[in-house]
Amino acid sequence: MIPAPFDYYAPNSLAEALTLLQQHGDDAKILAGGHSLLPAMKLRLASPAILIDINKISELRGIKVNGTVEIGALTTWSAIEQDAALAKACPVMAEAVSLIGDIQVRNRGTIGGSLAHADPAADMPAVVLALDAHIHVEGPNGPRTIAATDFFTDMLSTALEPGEIITSITFNSLGPGEGAAYAKFPHPASRYAIVGAAAYVKMENGQVTACRVAITGAGPKAERQPAVEQALIGTDGNADAIAAAAAHAGEGMDMLGDIHASEEYRRAMCKVYTKRALLKAVERAR
Amino acid sequence: MTQQPPHRYLGKARKSVDGIEKVTGRARYAGDVYLPGMLHGKLALSMYAHARIVRIDTAAAKAIPGVVAVLTAHDLPVRQHQPSSRQTTTLARDVVRYRGEPVALVLATHPAAAEDAVAALQIDYEPLPAVVTVEAALDPAAPVIWPQGAPRADADLTAAHAAVARGEEQNGHTVSNVHERKRFSRGDAHTALAAADVVVAGTYRTSIVHQGYLEPHAVVADVDPIRKQITLYTSTQGQFGVRDEVARLLGLRPSQVTVVPMTVGGGFGAKYGILEPLAAAAAMAVGRPVRIVLDRSEDFLTTTPSPASTITLKLGATREGILTALVAEIVIDNGVYPFTLGGIMSTLLGGYYRCPNVQIDVVEVLTHKPQAGAYRAPGAPQVTFALESSIDELAHRLGLDPLELRMRNAATTGDPMGNNDPWPSMGLTKVLEVAAAHPLWRNRTPGSGVGMAIGGWPCGMSPAAAVCRVDTDGIVRVHVGSVDISGVNSSFVLVAAEILGVPPEQVEIVAGDTRSGPFAGPSGGSQITYSVTGAVAATAREARRQLLEIAADMLEARIDDLDIREGEVLVRGVPGRSLPIGEVARRAQEQPGGPGPIVGEGRAAPAENAPGFVAHIVQVAVDQETGRVQPLRYVAIQDVGFPLNPLMVEGQIHGGAVQGIGWALHEALRYDERGELLTASLMDYTLPRAADVPSIEAVLVTNPAPNGPFGARGVGEPPITAGAAAIANAIRDATGARIYELPMRDEIVFQAIRQVSKEECL
Ligand SMILES: Cc1cc2nc3c(=O)[nH]c(=O)nc-3n(C[C@H](O)[C@H](O)[C@H](O)COP(=O)(O)OP(=O)(O)OC[C@H]3O[C@@H](n4cnc5c(N)ncnc54)[C@H](O)[C@@H]3O)c2cc1C
Repeated sequence: MIPAPFDYYAPNSLAEALTLLQQHGDDAKILAGGHSLLPAMKLRLASPAILIDINKISELRGIKVNGTVEIGALTTWSAIEQDAALAKACPVMAEAVSLIGDIQVRNRGTIGGSLAHADPAADMPAVVLALDAHIHVEGPNGPRTIAATDFFTDMLSTALEPGEIITSITFNSLGPGEGAAYAKFPHPASRYAIVGAAAYVKMENGQVTACRVAITGAGPKAERQPAVEQALIGTDGNADAIAAAAAHAGEGMDMLGDIHASEEYRRAMCKVYTKRALLKAVERAR
Repeated sequence: MTQQPPHRYLGKARKSVDGIEKVTGRARYAGDVYLPGMLHGKLALSMYAHARIVRIDTAAAKAIPGVVAVLTAHDLPVRQHQPSSRQTTTLARDVVRYRGEPVALVLATHPAAAEDAVAALQIDYEPLPAVVTVEAALDPAAPVIWPQGAPRADADLTAAHAAVARGEEQNGHTVSNVHERKRFSRGDAHTALAAADVVVAGTYRTSIVHQGYLEPHAVVADVDPIRKQITLYTSTQGQFGVRDEVARLLGLRPSQVTVVPMTVGGGFGAKYGILEPLAAAAAMAVGRPVRIVLDRSEDFLTTTPSPASTITLKLGATREGILTALVAEIVIDNGVYPFTLGGIMSTLLGGYYRCPNVQIDVVEVLTHKPQAGAYRAPGAPQVTFALESSIDELAHRLGLDPLELRMRNAATTGDPMGNNDPWPSMGLTKVLEVAAAHPLWRNRTPGSGVGMAIGGWPCGMSPAAAVCRVDTDGIVRVHVGSVDISGVNSSFVLVAAEILGVPPEQVEIVAGDTRSGPFAGPSGGSQITYSVTGAVAATAREARRQLLEIAADMLEARIDDLDIREGEVLVRGVPGRSLPIGEVARRAQEQPGGPGPIVGEGRAAPAENAPGFVAHIVQVAVDQETGRVQPLRYVAIQDVGFPLNPLMVEGQIHGGAVQGIGWALHEALRYDERGELLTASLMDYTLPRAADVPSIEAVLVTNPAPNGPFGARGVGEPPITAGAAAIANAIRDATGARIYELPMRDEIVFQAIRQVSKEECL
């Protein structure tokens, strides 16, 4: 439970961090909250020769709400959970974050670290997909923006290029007629998601006019659920319509199976939790 | 029993004597011991369930700065080269037989260097076929784990837990992976089963469960190379047993080994000496102190969890609900070395209920996994789950109230246990009466998710001694040789205070090591309070006698007219004539020609054990869509004989109930087909947490044990026995689904519920 030896840098600016990353290439890892990286290092599953600690780069930290929401990559879960303006603009954020780990984990873990790590059982990937968020990065070739739908490419893999650092995440505030919810079936031991379902719906004149659903935990990466979304749009969002739509959850997805939940069971739980998330989201949208 | 005056201190709740040290982090555990020149040991554990060790290249490891030695089996001064149990294991020689078997030990000046060195060790293995499951082990074509015959266990750990056994040896002489077959029987069970009005049958499976103590195994070994003496600071439940085993393995006399039991962060049956022989041998080899502290994963991999079992059970009964037959087969997965819980399991399975015709066959099986070990009421949660689930099913079949069915058949004092010995004084019917009257049971409605089960444990006993001294400031010190793993010292204090007539704050318990402590048995089998209290009481009586003898002289009164209250010796009926006991002690120390300083000795060797029975009632909520079960209310009723310190007794009941919930819903060590452990951390091994556990109502039933001190019974083990069955029965009530497997994981409950709804659709 002691990591292999490594060198440690704590740059003061993003530019410095990017230069260090470029210098050291594959030998280096960014250190944010350390709550995914350090456990892996202690188990010697990861042994980076160099850690670049970005915690001194204060511009990466903070929440701005102004019609749209911008969350700095280094913002901790507890900062997200406790932000009053964010709670008004997009309550699903606090709802989902409050289910991550425990207080200690939430005091250290960051949204940027979670997205970059792309753990198949992490919660936030489903939420950013359902909110249709954008992920902003800086790299050797300057800044660029990646849509959440393009970000998660495979298990523990993202669209981040070598040398790139996530700087912030943006998405729209929820307005009247919009509702979002996150429902999580926690792993019995780790409390990560066996299945986590995030849902967003827009209701106009008693009809569902837009819907985005994403599932995490069940497969190698978090994924949108187009069949569920299509089935719900155009309905009035009653419980039967939701159940019928949720029955499509997991369609076309590769399912993970392990000692805690088989593939078949995860598939069943996708439906249950999609239904639960949609029921809440529709209620909030009304 | 003679009429006793009401107690002043005994029977009244009083907080734990070492609570402050524990919650403020000041208690000293084995891992807190740092000695000059001490080396940090780190184990290299086998990566294979079965393999030949071809070569261990230590060069790269030794080159790491700070590394002092890399030890393999050939470097250790150990007498016994082929271990017969985990307790006699140091380092593997030539062959490894389970994933997690220690292969090498790195010693370094700091822990990080030791860990780097373990990573740098090059160990070449030649993998051999591994027999991982019981099914595989029983296959006649399977490789035999011990072709020369299974190593004989030198010590029967269950002996520490309860005096049981008997049964007829059924072993043939063919070498196989079955190390023991036994049959326990009375009457003619098969004929009775065939003639029964109703039969229920089921096969119940339980998993390998870790004891889940907070403090992983830890030891610091000090060595005096000149005198050839070893001192071990360790986390143990029994210092005397560890001393004897270490001495035997190292070829030393027991008196050359001193074992100092440190504060224990939980043992539950697992801490009878696992790292001590290795740490002692390593310290001998290098002539410096050696510290080994396992991390959580190592502890999961290389210690002795509770064995998995498969219990096939058939019950026969009359229409009126009288049990007529019990036929069972118990197959136990003991891992790599023989371990025998079959005796105690049969004793309980064939003993909870009066049943004239019983046949229980035990098959003890070896596999390439860590050796099984004792865990709080070893074997009881397994058989109780099977039996109490079956009794509940029988009640459903007969249309009887499950508690009423139990009442009709409950064993009482003198009825045969499964080994056909008679039960000593026991109170199963008493706890059932209390359960029947409890509102959670009485007011339940069908489908509300309420279930109940009973359970019991014979409870152990052993001879013990204690010494009592009175200091000049009135402090009473009671020296014992037992380890306090469960709050026993917080009861001893009250016993001494009661007898001496001093406030409990004036009493200190001094727990000795193997040199200074009067002998006591190990802290297992719920025996310590039952066994050592007698010695504590006797030594306190002797000290009291000595105090009164001297005080009589000082107060010029007859001994018979004296009493001690609140630490003052007083003359009855003469207000104002009194002396603090400290002054009496001073006189005893100073008076030439007097009787001499106050020192009492006390001994006790109880002759009959006092079983403890429980009835647990649980209400659960089951998420019908996911199968996840949440206990909502938990009532734990227990015959405790007499609660010396009710707060400690309730604490034992709360802890046992929580562990029972772990057995029921959460805990399992699971291995893949190659014998790799899939649950080697708390990210995968599921322990119940605060949010998973409802508030637990402990109900103490006072049914004095005829030979117990003040009527007390052992209380530690009984509360873990019934939880799994009670929760299974609650799930049955909530969903109609009967679960045959522990733990009752989400997915298993989910499938069982689906099965029920499929059957209902037909
Ligand atoms: C006990 C425990 C329980 C947990 N439970 C949950 C849970 O229930 N749900 C859940 O979702 N998560 C859970 N987590 C994970 C936790 O949320 C992590 O903190 C989070 O996933 C990673 O964030 P971090 O800031 O700690 O990242 P780090 O561990 O510091 O980094 C993780 C990875 O991301 C890279 N990285 C970090 N920041 C950036 C950046 N700005 N740009 C590019 N790359 C970056 C790092 O190089 C590293 O590869 C748990 C963790 C623990 C220890």
